[in-house]
This record gives sequence, structure tokens and C-alpha cells, in this order.
Amino acid sequence: MKQVVVHPERCVGCMQCMLACATAHSKTLHLFTAVREDPLPKPRIHVGAGIHGEGFPNRCRHCDPAPCMLACLPGAISRIPETNTVVIDPDTCINCASCAMACPFGVIRYHGDAAAPPGKAVAVKCDNCTARQKKGMVPACVEVCKSGALTFEEPASALGRKTREVARSVSRDAGGEPIAPGFALLNAVKRSQIEMEKR
Amino acid sequence: MKYVIIGNGVAGIHAAEAIRHLDAEGRLTLIGDETFPPYCRPMISMVLEGATPPERLPIRSTDFYRRLGITPILGRRVSGIDVEARVVRLPGLEDGIPFDRLLIASGADPRPITADGLHLAHIFYMRTERHIREMLDAIPTVKTALVLGGGLVGFKAAYGLLRRGIRVTQLIRSAYPLSMQVDRTAGEMILNELVRKGLDVRVGLSAAAFHGNGRVEGARLSDGSEIACDMVVIGKGVLPALSFVPRDRIDVDLGVLVNAHMETSVPGIYAAGDAAEFVDIARKTRWVNAIWPEAAAQGRAAGMNMAGRPVALKGSLSRNVIRIFDMDVMTGGWVDPPESAGFEILSRHDRRRKTYRKLVLDGRRLVGMAMVNDIAQGGLLISLIQNEVPLRISGNALLSSGFNYRQLLN
Ligand SMILES: Cc1cc2nc3c(=O)[nH]c(=O)nc-3n(C[C@H](O)[C@H](O)[C@H](O)COP(=O)(O)OP(=O)(O)OC[C@H]3O[C@@H](n4cnc5c(N)ncnc54)[C@H](O)[C@@H]3O)c2cc1C
Ligand code: SF4
Ligand code: SF4
Repeated sequence: MKQVVVHPERCVGCMQCMLACATAHSKTLHLFTAVREDPLPKPRIHVGAGIHGEGFPNRCRHCDPAPCMLACLPGAISRIPETNTVVIDPDTCINCASCAMACPFGVIRYHGDAAAPPGKAVAVKCDNCTARQKKGMVPACVEVCKSGALTFEEPASALGRKTREVARSVSRDAGGEPIAPGFALLNAVKRSQIEMEKR
Repeated sequence: MKYVIIGNGVAGIHAAEAIRHLDAEGRLTLIGDETFPPYCRPMISMVLEGATPPERLPIRSTDFYRRLGITPILGRRVSGIDVEARVVRLPGLEDGIPFDRLLIASGADPRPITADGLHLAHIFYMRTERHIREMLDAIPTVKTALVLGGGLVGFKAAYGLLRRGIRVTQLIRSAYPLSMQVDRTAGEMILNELVRKGLDVRVGLSAAAFHGNGRVEGARLSDGSEIACDMVVIGKGVLPALSFVPRDRIDVDLGVLVNAHMETSVPGIYAAGDAAEFVDIARKTRWVNAIWPEAAAQGRAAGMNMAGRPVALKGSLSRNVIRIFDMDVMTGGWVDPPESAGFEILSRHDRRRKTYRKLVLDGRRLVGMAMVNDIAQGGLLISLIQNEVPLRISGNALLSSGFNYRQLLN
């Protein structure tokens, strides 16, 4: 089954995915009206700016086994086997943040949400756009990502391609997969800065 | 295969599920002295506080045992284990219950205190849903309460009672609450917040005696002073519940000693959760980490091993997250090591924003962390401690909340 695959090396840090995600999890599903909703829709994917300004789209990996699921006190976290999605039931969640303690990717946030009882802060994270997928759509973040940092594909094929990329990049005249224009240079600069900092 | 699990808490439940996952046929018996459906123990303080109704406590439905083909023996206390005959002893049951694989997941009992007048009514421990029901029965007549102990449970009791509008005095031996979980800076931040919300905290004190006519009316403290109270909650920590374990046959220190497979010194007998003593990843010594996620993970691992799939755990790790009033606190690993341990300590305290971050480093290895009001990425730090990943970025870079994920995770 298809999964969202993150390619951080291609992220240009435009944060379009965050906007699309927040909209997809709003009541009205339109950016225009979503910004006036209460609670204000918030994204479940977070583009962290690294120390050199480079982007890193960070979202739930739907781990198996999922550490958050084992740590959740009232058992609010479960898996939808059909889409291999780890989901949080906002009605059962007690907002204890035990999942934040367990998640090695730091992707869970706590706030009010359109799906939660009014006035109640709950744990919120990526749900693989289960509602959209049911309608045959791809996850919202993938749909808007123009730099190819987020793709929706079979994990096996992503793995195969990654292997080829790595294989190609070690051969002498490696061109590598095209990454977002201009960012090869920027990344090279950052890398050298990081190297310098290490010394 | 005959499996027997002692304890129907989170460790026992996860073990039972793991066993059933791997072995659909084996005979599985689960013994527990609580008759309430398997429930979330940490949530009992939310029931006390009034934030959650008791019906929300169960973590498994009532048909859990039937669905998994488990024979439950509830409301009965195990009295012994016959290691030679491989039998679990229950009072009133002549032959006992035979096992091929046994799990000791009996959890812990509140640490008792010694003081005069402990027999009086309205003096409570806080460990089970029954304790909470008894406290709730008492609460309508209570105006002032005394909480003993500054650990997690004492602290949650004080918080819950405060939220019920009761005047609470908390006695703690150390200089600040949660001294086992946090360091002085974080501890004082928590203390200030509680005092601001009306809690009366007295440090360096304990209770020597209680008096009253049938029910408690007051206490004499260790400094000789007197305090009036209509209710007392004792939260001085817990001790593994091992009265039935033959210590001459199974190695026990504070808890039952286990190896990486959760197996005790006797092959085929396992232990998990609050009852077990394992190695602590940060401290590198034997340790009882009596916390929920550890009990769940250990129970699960024990169950898998019992059913024949050899899985190993690396060790346990103390970690905690506490959210009270407007404060979030997360700690993990060795937060406050003695100076002699020679660790590097980095911290950043923003008094205006009321945030605090602290890292404890052993060379390039992160061994401890504490965060106040800035916890979203805490899980990442905890996993760095847990997996003993050598840091690739400087500790100071890790200390700022915008640290570079890509470098860490790639
Ligand atoms: C008020 C409170 C708040 C807490 N908050 C947190 C928190 O926020 N985060 C966190 O990580 N942890 C918290 N904890 C700790 C957490 O609840 C425990 O670590 C966890 O429940 C341990 O699970 P366990 O299965 O090992 O033991 P238990 O949950 O204690 O289960 C053991 C079971 O075995 C039964 N039993 C014992 N002896 C016998 C016998 N001889 N025969 C038959 N049955 C027996 C007991 O009755 C019990 O039902 C809290 C605990 C309390 C009391
Ligand atoms: S929230 Fe974190 S731990 Fe849970 S499945 Fe997602 S990435 Fe994994
Ligand atoms: S915050 Fe909610 S989802 Fe996370 S562990 Fe607590 S109850 Fe579970």
C-alpha cells in the first residue's frame, strides 16, 4: 500500500505542505474560510528550519511497532491496518503528552482541533489524510509539494529507487537525481559550514 | 504450553496479548487481586481531580479475557510460587496452578510509613481505583488535607485535591518536589507554580503521629508542630509487591532481577513492570524504573519471550512527563547526576518565558535531559538517550529548540 515518503534533501523549505495540511484538517476544507475557524486549524507536518536555514519536512512515520502507541496511557492511539496509519482518538486522549515523550521524531503537538470536542486540547499528528484517501485523493502535503520532497508511493519502490540513487552517486560521473534547482549549491555551502563548525 | 501471569496491570495485559499474538493454543491464566477491568493507573489522579469519570479508566473492555481466551482468576491474591513443582499457590486452592512459563507482573505497593494513629479513617494511600473511590467518598466532608511525600504520586494527589477546592498542605523531605525526577531549577519552577496556585508546601518535614476521634483530625509533625487536617494522603513512593516470591529460589534485590529477555534467575520464570529490576540505560546499573511505558514495553517483551520468540531489551530508562496547571515538564535519563560522575551539563533557563532546558552529556553520549514548557521535541532527546546514539551536533546546538533535525536523523 502506498505511503508518504519524505526526501529531505529536496525540501526547499517553502512550507506549502503545512498550509495544505492545516486546510485539509479544518472544518471547512478551504484555506479562505479555514483561517477564520475556531480552533484555528494547525498543520500536522512541520518544516523545521535547520541551523543553516535548510528545510526538513517532519511528519509521523507511522512506526511499526509504534512507541507512542505503547506509551499512551488511556490507549487512545491505534493503527488502521488498511492504510497502515497510526491514529489518535481525540475523544479518548487525555492530553498527557506521554506520546511526545515516546515519539523519536517529535511530531506530536497539543492543541484544540476540528475533530476534538470543543475546548479540549488533544494530541494531534499526521493521520495520513485518511479522510482524503477514502475519497481516492492523495495526502494534501504530497499534492502541493512541488519540489518532490514528499511523494506518495509503494515503500518498496521508494527503497529500490533510493538504492539506485545511492549506487549512482558513488559512481564517478554521478549526476544523482535532480534535486530542487539551486539547492545543490546551497546544500554544498551548508555542508561545508557544518564541517567547519565541527572543527 | 501452560502460561500463568501474576498481575492484571499494564505489564500483565501486554504480556498476555503478546503471548496470544504468537501462540493461539497455549493455556493462559491471569491472576489479579483487583476485579475492576484492566485500567489506567496514572489516570486515577484525574478521577480524584474530577477531570475524568471513573468509567473512563479501563484500557481494555470487559470481554478482553474471553476474546483472548484467557482464564482470569480475579479478586484473589497469590500466596507463593513453588519453583520445583512449577506451581503458583493461591489460598484455598489445594493444588495451585501449574505453569510451564510464569510471569511475575505484580506491580508495586505504596511504601508504608511508620507513625502513630495510622488506623484512623481518612488516611489514604493512592495506588488503585478503589483508593480513589474511598477518597471520593470522604471528600464532601473534607476542608483541609495533608499530603505526605513530594514524589509523583504525592504531587498528583495534592494537585487533584487543590482542584477540588480543598486546602492542601504538602510535606516533603527534600528542598523541592519531584526531586527524583527533576533537578533543583526545574523543581523550584514547579514549586513556585504550585505555591502561586495556593498549595502550602513545607520542606524538610514529615509526619510523626496522627490523632482524631475515629477519623483523622490532625497531625504532629517531625519538628513537634501540630497541623489540623480532615484527610491524609500518603505518597512516599512504592515498593515492588513481592511478598509471594521465594527469595531463596528467585534472585531479588529491590525488584525481581531480570536479564535482557525479562527472565529471572529461574529459567521459564519471567518478571516485568514495577515488580522487575533491570539495568538502567543512563546509569548503567540495576534499577527499578516504575513507570507506565516501561511496564508496557517490558510486559510485551516478556510475553514474546515466554511464547518462544527471543526478543531482548537493552535496559530501562526513567522518563516522565508532567502537565500541571500551565506547566509542562519532561525529564529523561539521569537528570541530576552527582558531580563526581564527571558529566558535562548544559542548560538554558529563560526566566521571562519560563522555559528551561537541560542536557547531561557523557562525552558524545546524551545521558539525561529535562525540559520545562518546551517539550515537543523531548521525545527525540529521550530516544537519543535510549539508543545511545553518539551526537553528531554540538550539545549547545541541541539545546536550542530549533536544532537541526536533518543532521540528527539522517
Ligand atoms: C497515582 C499514580 C499516578 C501515576 N502516574 C504515572 C505517570 O504519569 N506516568 C507513568 O509512567 N507512570 C505513572 N504511574 C506508575 C504506573 O502506574 C506504573 O508504573 C504501572 O501501572 C506499573 O504497571 P504494572 O503492570 O507493573 O503494575 P500494576 O499496575 O501495579 O499492576 C499489578 C497488578 O498485580 C496485582 N497483584 C499484586 N500482587 C498480587 C498478588 N499477590 N496476587 C494477585 N495479584 C497481585 C495488583 O493488584 C495489580 O492489579 C502512576 C502510578 C500511580 C499510582
Ligand atoms: S507519532 Fe512518532 S512514534 Fe508515533 S508512529 Fe508517528 S513517528 Fe512513530
Ligand atoms: S497525549 Fe493523548 S494520545 Fe498522547 S499519550 Fe496522552 S492520551 Fe495518548
